[in-house]
Amino acid sequence: MFGRLSQVSSPAIDVRALHVQFGAVEAVRWLDLSVPAGGSTALVGRNGAGKSTTMRVLAGVIPPVGGEVYVGGHDVRRDALGAKRVSGYCPDVGGLVPRATPWEHLQLSARLRRLPPGWEEDARDLLERFDLGAAAHRVTSGFSHGMGRRMSVVLAAFHHPRVLLLDEPFDGVDPFGAEATLDVIADARSRGAAVLVSTHLLELAVQASDEAVVLRGGMVVGAAQANELGGEAGARAYRALLA
Amino acid sequence: MTTILAEARRASADVHPLVAFRLAALRGRSTPAVIAGAGLFFFMTAAFAVLPALLDGAQSSDRALSMLLLLPTAYLAFLVTTTFAIIGAGGGRELLPRDEGVAFPVSPTTDHLGALMLVPLNIAWILQGWSLLGLTAFAAGAQNLWAVQITTLAWLFFGTALAQAIAWAVEGVRRLPHGSWVVKGGGALLALGTVSLVLADNVTAALDQSPTLDAVVVALNGRHVNGRWATGTAVIIVGGVIAVAVGAFVAHLVARRPPLEELQADGRAIAPRAIARSELAALVRTDRSSVWRSVPLRRGFLILALIPGLVAAAGQLEWEMLPVLPGLVASGSALLFGVNAWALDGVGAVWRDSLPVRPDLVFAARVWVLCEVLLVASALTLVVGGLRAGGLPTTSEATALLATLVVVSLQVVARSMHWSVRRPFAMDLRSARGTPAPPLAMVTYSSYLALTSTLTGMVFAVAAQADDPRLSLVLAVPFLLAAVRRLAITRREWSTPDTRAYVVATVSTR
Repeated sequence: MFGRLSQVSSPAIDVRALHVQFGAVEAVRWLDLSVPAGGSTALVGRNGAGKSTTMRVLAGVIPPVGGEVYVGGHDVRRDALGAKRVSGYCPDVGGLVPRATPWEHLQLSARLRRLPPGWEEDARDLLERFDLGAAAHRVTSGFSHGMGRRMSVVLAAFHHPRVLLLDEPFDGVDPFGAEATLDVIADARSRGAAVLVSTHLLELAVQASDEAVVLRGGMVVGAAQANELGGEAGARAYRALLA
Repeated sequence: MTTILAEARRASADVHPLVAFRLAALRGRSTPAVIAGAGLFFFMTAAFAVLPALLDGAQSSDRALSMLLLLPTAYLAFLVTTTFAIIGAGGGRELLPRDEGVAFPVSPTTDHLGALMLVPLNIAWILQGWSLLGLTAFAAGAQNLWAVQITTLAWLFFGTALAQAIAWAVEGVRRLPHGSWVVKGGGALLALGTVSLVLADNVTAALDQSPTLDAVVVALNGRHVNGRWATGTAVIIVGGVIAVAVGAFVAHLVARRPPLEELQADGRAIAPRAIARSELAALVRTDRSSVWRSVPLRRGFLILALIPGLVAAAGQLEWEMLPVLPGLVASGSALLFGVNAWALDGVGAVWRDSLPVRPDLVFAARVWVLCEVLLVASALTLVVGGLRAGGLPTTSEATALLATLVVVSLQVVARSMHWSVRRPFAMDLRSARGTPAPPLAMVTYSSYLALTSTLTGMVFAVAAQADDPRLSLVLAVPFLLAAVRRLAITRREWSTPDTRAYVVATVSTR
């Protein structure tokens, strides 16, 4: 069932032989990955597989030790700022400045991204879809884990990025929040954005993506069409790869 | 009674594994540094306790008599400043931070004993302790000095235990409904009382009534090692033990109540403002919010800005001596968050680093906000301290004050940003009891900042006495150049992706 997926020409996310090391620990080893514009890929695997590290490299937060990483055509090593301008990133943990409100987060992002006037309407709409409208002007230190996750997805998506990077967006989120996140992914794809979702929740990965890449120990151990991971047979094959 | 004693024994025993847990986190060069620091501390303590008694004029000179008359005030000042420091820290430092400690059965008694243990890990406490030992040694002389200093050490123990118990009580009141306003009202009344004493010129008369006079008499009886000394010292020690027990009891009461003020701050709504006009303005606005919306940072800022000024006003410190103050206040303010400035973003640091903005602009915004905090705190201190400094300052004094204000603020900011980039820590700045760095690092930071900024302040205190006001401006130039150079180096380090990734990954775990 699992094999190497064929590379797509001029992908929006293009990773070749990515290598990340923290001291003696190799977090990511020679990882290849590509996501075309309008496509959605899930990074799946157990805790510590290297999913979040890969996402942080793509977001320009961690510099790669080796390999080539292009986000929206920008080399993250040489042009991290360019990569950040075309992407939206939901970090795996936290992601919110404790004493700022959601609206202030949106304003900061809008200013730094130089969004034209009118972004506020989309932002408000997204806040309402994620049931955060009433909390828009409260400092985020009082937010629950799920609220924080939902807000991070809003921040990643509200400016309609060409590359959407969602790291564990479903973690601790209620079914309505998960549904809203799936809608955001579908909207982004329909606009031609490339979406990369990292999650350890297989069922949601299947729903969110059309391709899945399985990581273990910082390496790609398999890749498949996401629907092949559905059902009992898919889950069995997935578990076999993780063992 | 048996149950209470058993619980107390168990709580005391629990302090040991917590200390061991903290010490186990020391890495690399930290362990030898801690051992060397502890050795230096004991050496310096012994030196302050003994050497002044061997100086010419000890016990017998007019200066020794002046010091003797000053001792009750010094004993009282130790108690008052220690109490305010612990109140400002929301009941004292924690051996195990609140969010780390939730998984462990740590009793309020253990927490209390841990807080008590950590009180001396503070440069203000250490300097005052050394001053008391030194003053006492010089005033009492070498005869049976050991006995005299046993009483001084007993007073340090009693004063610290009492300050901790009072601080718990204040924290307990603060956690009652409307308790925050009661504490603020109490603080205002206390400040008004002090101001009225100062204005009525009754400070000396009030200090003459200080109960610390009895403690000083007990200490001086140590020269003859008589029964009055032994009884008096025993009473001070027993008083300290009672204060520890009372503190534990109050700590239990406090632990039953949530920190209302902090929780209210978490839930409050903020009126939206128009979007910032520039990238830098947007960054500065976010950083400023992180500082001024934090209850513990605001509280610490007010205490640091007002208390030294009030003390200076009470002591009628003259304009030419005031340049020493900004350095101490700026150092204290930097210790609120500046020495680990990137921790202000907490868990939001990763998201912030993913935003498309030049790293040097982010750095500039953080430096700007830190400068603001330090300058405002120091300026407030000078305004309050200058109320009784005797008329208006001369041009030389005013220039020296202005130069000190700018120089020490920039010095402290440069050093703080350097530490923030080189040695980031994952610290929770939301809690009033949290610190921007672990206790031992805080001692190092506070010692360094207090020493350098006091020395700088002394340079300008001398310049304030010069006829030509331009001297201060000329002296300021090399200090400013050195600070700007350090800032430029740190900014370059911050702009390196590897360094930034390390800092962000470290501070964002809390």
